[in-house]
Amino acid sequence: MGGGPGGLFTAWHLERLAAAPVAITILEASSRLGGKVVSPTFAAAPVRYEAGAAELYDYSPVGDDPLRQLVQSLGLPTAPLTGASVCLAGRRIANLDDAQAELGSDCRRALVEFDAWARGAMSPGEFYASGSDLAVASDATPLAATLAGLQEPAVRRYLETMIHSDLATEPAATTTGYGLQNYLMNDPAYMRLYRIAGGNEQLVAAIAERLAAVVRLDATVTEITPAANGRLAVAWHTGGRPLCEEFEVVILALPIPPLSAIAFADATLAEAIGQHIAHHNHPAHYLRITLLLDRPVAGVPGEDDYLMLDAFGGACLYVESSRDPLGRHGVLGWLLGGNAAAEWADASEEELVAAALDSLPEPLAPCRGQVLEARVHRWTGAVSGVPGGWHPLPADRRHRPSAAHSNVLVVGDYLYDSTLNGVFDSAEYVAGWVAAELTATQSPSSGSL
Amino acid sequence: MIAHDRDQSDLKQEPAAAVGIPAGLPGTASLRRLPLSSTVAIDLLAVAVEAAADTGGPPESVADIIREWATTQALDPAAGVSAAPIVVPLYGCLVAWSAGRAAVVGPGERLGQLEDAVADFATHEATLRDAEQRATALLDTIEADAGAAFEIDHASGDRRIELAARYREAVAVGRRLALVAPAVHAAPVHPPTLASQLGERLRERARLVERHELAVGRADLAERVTEACGQRAADSGIARRQTGLEWAIVVLLIVQTALMLVDLLAWRGSS
Repeated sequence: MGGGPGGLFTAWHLERLAAAPVAITILEASSRLGGKVVSPTFAAAPVRYEAGAAELYDYSPVGDDPLRQLVQSLGLPTAPLTGASVCLAGRRIANLDDAQAELGSDCRRALVEFDAWARGAMSPGEFYASGSDLAVASDATPLAATLAGLQEPAVRRYLETMIHSDLATEPAATTTGYGLQNYLMNDPAYMRLYRIAGGNEQLVAAIAERLAAVVRLDATVTEITPAANGRLAVAWHTGGRPLCEEFEVVILALPIPPLSAIAFADATLAEAIGQHIAHHNHPAHYLRITLLLDRPVAGVPGEDDYLMLDAFGGACLYVESSRDPLGRHGVLGWLLGGNAAAEWADASEEELVAAALDSLPEPLAPCRGQVLEARVHRWTGAVSGVPGGWHPLPADRRHRPSAAHSNVLVVGDYLYDSTLNGVFDSAEYVAGWVAAELTATQSPSSGSL
Repeated sequence: MIAHDRDQSDLKQEPAAAVGIPAGLPGTASLRRLPLSSTVAIDLLAVAVEAAADTGGPPESVADIIREWATTQALDPAAGVSAAPIVVPLYGCLVAWSAGRAAVVGPGERLGQLEDAVADFATHEATLRDAEQRATALLDTIEADAGAAFEIDHASGDRRIELAARYREAVAVGRRLALVAPAVHAAPVHPPTLASQLGERLRERARLVERHELAVGRADLAERVTEACGQRAADSGIARRQTGLEWAIVVLLIVQTALMLVDLLAWRGSS
């Protein structure tokens, strides 16, 4: 269930890992594949932008990076994404020298001390292993409590601004461990960011093209019922028409909200899924505002691809047109996270655009009069603010909510780190499990998913 | 900071720049020749300006002059440099670099850090460029040398001094590349400073890592070939000495045998 990255990655892994061909069916409630990976084009000009996941993580400086290897093997061109600037009250802080000039020597020292503490608390190897069963227990103290311990309010504000849009939630609603991950991802020794040139959606499109699976779009799953033969009867409707089909294994590659909407006829299974949802239900929110400008963006400080703004409680401003230096248009994209994204989700497009333009730092102020078209994408509750939960479970329990129903498995970014890399790992884990089970039962050719 | 302890003794002299501050720059502009080692220097133009409110960087008029100044040097055939200059806008500053010439533009209090970073980069780049040129020169000879790794004649044996010199050069180039490797492959600094950000961007734009790997490959190849030739020449010398020794032993054995025969005949005659 789910034609987002989780469902596609799982099918892709399973087709390669299974010892014999597996009949896979992907049920997707919407009319497109890709989920949160969306790279649409403006109407006013053929300019592409990212409406969902903006970047992928490159772990290759630390260890194997199977997603990076997949992207390379698919022949998709990539480009690095860099950004070091945090704008506080309209002043840009891009390095320690700026921090000293804008915030003072004490703040510079405090930032260096915090960085040393963060790196001591989580090494690159531990960062790389986070989410897996090899990970050391991360600090489950609320992030807000850790940040409250900082003496300098300006340093606290700087750090909150730096990580807020990545957290997609408020510091009080997530763990210090997750906060540290989102801080340390700025250090190239831990990981680097990259994007797929021409749009991240090419990744899911390339995978979908290579799948032998049957894809059913506009198919909303309503109920899952264990059948007498050990299979699972999946009921869904498409265009108001109810349908039902039996499968040997069901993999739920859905975000928490649509997962919650499915009815499970078996009481044990329903209770297990309920517990799974309760453990992982930490809704976090994104909202993206993207503006097409009539000319390339001028005044981009320091060639950054993105910068962090203190507006909206901490937002990321992507200078999307930096991805196309020869383009005739400019594109600016705001990524709001956390409470701000939820609060602004009901605002009209005009209100959102006006607020976004107001937040532009001074060098980008001329862009206010250059807007050709605006697009808004609301991702309310689309990710988890505490991926893995406050106290992460072992990988097998995360992916198999009910021990009594070993043929019901879940895949999701919320089980790892709310990223594409996380859902890729999750999909690989489940596909490996299913492939092993199919091999063990000696009935691979009859396996349906 | 500039690493003055590096071995720069035989780096080639950088081409001299036409000295003079370009017209149109503010009065804060200064030009000086910055020595990187006893034999290497660059012309460093420093211009103190405040960031323009509209762009967040130096005024466009200043930036244009700086780009042109760096380009003029970079395309000067007399300087032996044809690569385009590297121009890095960086958080309210602007840095232009080409071999032998660099310009830094930014707020006065930041110029010192920028100059240090540029000088540091220029030192490593000059070292690498020198090693690249020497490695390339070595490559020109290895095809001719390669034959000597398999066929040794009297003339080849006489080339061992030449081969030894070439081997020493290959080792020296390898050593130079090994010395500059930590700077070329330095991990990004976190949290960054303005100087570290500039250094990283210059390294990336000048493709130091790729150039270093290529030069190491060339130096390794030259070292392997000349080492093989040298080994062959040494083996040949040893073989020749061995042959002489064997002949001497043969002669001594013949003499000894002859003396034994004489001795035997004398003994028979007396008995």
